[in-house]
Amino acid sequence: MQPSELGIDYLSILPEIITATAGIVIMMIDAVSRKSQKAVYGLVSLAALVGSALSIFSLRGRIGVTSFRGMIVNDELRLVFALIFLTVTFLTVLISLHWIEEEALPMAEYFALLMFATTGMLFMAAAGDLVMIFLGLEITSISSYVLCGYRRKDTRSNEAAMKYFILGSFSTAFLLYGMALVYGASFEPSMHPAATTNLQLLRDRIAAGQLFSPALLLAGAAMMIVGFGFKVSTAPFHIWSPDVYEGAPTPVTAFLSTGSKAAAFAAFCRVFILTFGIGSVGVATFSVKAPTVFTDLHVTSTHALYVMGALTMFVGNITAVVQSNIKRMLAYSSIAHAGYALVGLVAGDWRAVAFYLISYVVINIGAFAIIELMARKGDKRTEIADYSGIGFQSLGLASALSLFLLSLAGIPLTAGFMAKLLVFKSAWGAGLHGLVIIGVINSAISWYYYLRVIVVMFFSEPAKGFVRPPVARTFSAALVIMILATLYLGIFPGRVLSTLERAGTGVVARK
Amino acid sequence: MLTIIIFLPVSGTLALLLTPGGERANEALQKWTALIFALAAFVLSLALPFGMASSGLSFDQNVPWIQAFDLGIKYHVGIDGLSLWLVLLTTLLVPLALISSWNSIHYRLREFLIAVLALEAGMIGVFVAMDLFVFYLFWEVMLVPMYFLIGVWGGERRVYAAVKFVIYTVAGSLLMLAGIISLYYLHGAAAHNYTFDIATITSDLKVHPLPGDAQRWLFWGFGLAFMIKVPLFPFHTWLPDAHVEAPTAGSVILAGVLLKMGTYGLIRFNLPLFPDASREFAPLIATLAVIGIIYGALVAMVQPDMKKLVAYSSVSHLGFVVLGIFSFTEQGMQGAIYQMLNHGISTGALFIIVGMIYERRHTKLISEFGGLGRVMPVYSSLFAVVMLSSIALPMLNGFVGEFLVLIGTFTSSQLAHARLFATLASLGMILSAVYMLWMYQRVIFGEVRNPENLKLADLNGREKLVLAPAIVLIFAMGIYPSVFLSQSAPAVRETLERGSVSILAR
Repeated sequence: MQPSELGIDYLSILPEIITATAGIVIMMIDAVSRKSQKAVYGLVSLAALVGSALSIFSLRGRIGVTSFRGMIVNDELRLVFALIFLTVTFLTVLISLHWIEEEALPMAEYFALLMFATTGMLFMAAAGDLVMIFLGLEITSISSYVLCGYRRKDTRSNEAAMKYFILGSFSTAFLLYGMALVYGASFEPSMHPAATTNLQLLRDRIAAGQLFSPALLLAGAAMMIVGFGFKVSTAPFHIWSPDVYEGAPTPVTAFLSTGSKAAAFAAFCRVFILTFGIGSVGVATFSVKAPTVFTDLHVTSTHALYVMGALTMFVGNITAVVQSNIKRMLAYSSIAHAGYALVGLVAGDWRAVAFYLISYVVINIGAFAIIELMARKGDKRTEIADYSGIGFQSLGLASALSLFLLSLAGIPLTAGFMAKLLVFKSAWGAGLHGLVIIGVINSAISWYYYLRVIVVMFFSEPAKGFVRPPVARTFSAALVIMILATLYLGIFPGRVLSTLERAGTGVVARK
Repeated sequence: MLTIIIFLPVSGTLALLLTPGGERANEALQKWTALIFALAAFVLSLALPFGMASSGLSFDQNVPWIQAFDLGIKYHVGIDGLSLWLVLLTTLLVPLALISSWNSIHYRLREFLIAVLALEAGMIGVFVAMDLFVFYLFWEVMLVPMYFLIGVWGGERRVYAAVKFVIYTVAGSLLMLAGIISLYYLHGAAAHNYTFDIATITSDLKVHPLPGDAQRWLFWGFGLAFMIKVPLFPFHTWLPDAHVEAPTAGSVILAGVLLKMGTYGLIRFNLPLFPDASREFAPLIATLAVIGIIYGALVAMVQPDMKKLVAYSSVSHLGFVVLGIFSFTEQGMQGAIYQMLNHGISTGALFIIVGMIYERRHTKLISEFGGLGRVMPVYSSLFAVVMLSSIALPMLNGFVGEFLVLIGTFTSSQLAHARLFATLASLGMILSAVYMLWMYQRVIFGEVRNPENLKLADLNGREKLVLAPAIVLIFAMGIYPSVFLSQSAPAVRETLERGSVSILAR
């Protein structure tokens, strides 16, 4: 076959190429230079992320173009999520630079792994094919398994890595099995190709009802819900995340709880909203043509996701209430937030999910960044009791942490509120009144445990042995970015929202 | 104009951030900075009554904010007769609260002042917001400074009280958020105009009333948030805790203004937006209000702690306000609004008075005192005026409000068993005389039994200055109420008229 037939188009994967190359370059520098220099690795990573972001912007002019024979899709969903991932990694690099030096861990591999994980996430967002989603997911997952166990001499870190690896592989198997079933379900001898994993073709066949077996499709979709459900850590597939988030080094936890989650949501949205057509928009578009197959798929997966969303919010929030370790508490909080984002997914509005994640990544990394700083070497001080009375001793950091926590709780004027408002609004518009009420009740529960940290910080007697942690310049830069972003998205979300709105109309129009 | 009034306290907080913190020497500078900003807001707001239009919104400002996704959120502020006096009450009480705690707060003074000013901005914002989004935003944001006021500068059980306060309020207000979203869709679908604008929604729903079921759900969605804030029996349990633990300034603002936000919300939203549901549930609400009046009074009677007594009296007084609102008569609602102002001034002053004695003796227990009339004559006479206003003695402000409420309720044709409610509520008036006079008697009259009380100093100039505006207003509002009532009359009529159309066959 000629290259042109294969649809090779390197420009369309330029963002991924840049980050992957950066990872390789970092490893090469490490191989040839005698002593490792954090500045070099940091600069290479940051430069690569900026370059990647620039190339994402340059791809704006090529919206709707597919390449590599449908493997890579360049649409708004990809661009929006790619920017989310790049932001996540950018902030993670900034908050890791001083930490990794203090912990005296090997630097090159850390940054290289971050770059590779980012590459995988970018591929997940850009995938136009189930196989591509799987590839991206594996690249990300394997890098993150290693990152979880990065503090090699710490048993907690090792436990986290092992647990994540075993359970992660298990869930990946579910996902893969689901993909295989969907592939089988799409078998139609008269068509070419006979069976397919291409999402565009799948959508057309489901819409036209040209399937080998609708039951297989349902089974496949169910398996994929399990697989994705694990990756975004929704109940009842969330058991791994508290242990992993607690044991992993804090910057890695920040990265996992935001980047990996957002990447899984990108694929989740692409498969279930844009391909399977979940949400009321989908009903309107599809039901006329092929009522049975599509309605079955739609109704079943909507119900499954509805229950999952409700369960996730309750489990996450209620369990978070009784935690005494702040990392563990935020792990449950991040499960709960996956539940809120799932509300947007059930409503079939990926833009609401995207905005939710944009806000969530900024505030969640912010919270973890401060936890990392307070925890010090070896993640020692991570009990909530360790925070008692630091409020007025370290006013700046404590106020910033309070801002992030309140924003997670969803107080107006911060990103967290706008995100929740948008998700609940879409869900209400899609007729999911019950889910909105559940979400609202859960928000009220969540106030309790977020406030508890603030109570401890400001209303308690100072803890013994608290020394104000030194704040590195890169760290404070990241912190300032996150604080400003939290407030900007909360007070002036207009520009981001209208960009997303335009993006959404493009995707819907092409359906 | 309104925006300037909102943002004056905000800029005050920024100015305070610039002042050097920590040192005792800077305290004066910080206190004066805060006071100047609060007074500036008050002086500006004094101009508001003179610029009121005869109907509709005055000082209207409407700027598009977030338009994407059909959200149609606008920064829309304005005032009418319902909110005018509440804004003034807020801007008046905040400087008084600041002066009253002039010497009592030393711990983290700068942060304390910042919290008070931020609270002021939030409260004004709630009263002037004419967009549901903006309203909700101020409603929620205001929680944070109040939470810190109780939690950092409060009494012994401050953490418990602060958390209880926030959780109660948040549970209610998040249900309101669901209500706001659903109202946005229901109104948008009916009027083909997706917006959060309160005035637009109110006037559109007059033309396209909501179906009965939606009204019932939304009535409670919004109503619960407000009833918790009022607080209406049986949602009142957070109030005594919050009041007792809060510092004096916090109690003054909490009682004076925050509780009014609940009743204001009922008038602004529940009555005009869900008229049929309001009528349907009015007997239930009125029952709760009357229970609140009597229960609050009975519980107040047996309190050993002065602050707690005043707190329970708030439950009782606010019951009158709610009863007046749900009488659906002009007198009743005018009385309710008037009673809101009265309660803000009288109870605010009562808390200041209790705070003064607490500063001297560091106890609020009634049994610790007795015979203060001989030691502190000025204090005792001012106390008497305020207390009598709270009892609703004729010629003082409380009388006008409660009288109007009772007349309105008694003559109400739309509230079932109205006469029974009015009769029972008047019982509450008698009870209020019992507990207030009894408390006054035990604290002020008699012999000085406790030797510590002999050394107590009478009020100084600053303390007299704090109480002076309250005393003047108590008399002014009691003798010549029409100045105030005439301003709110058009808005009340408008609200009643908006809420009168019904789609349900009766």
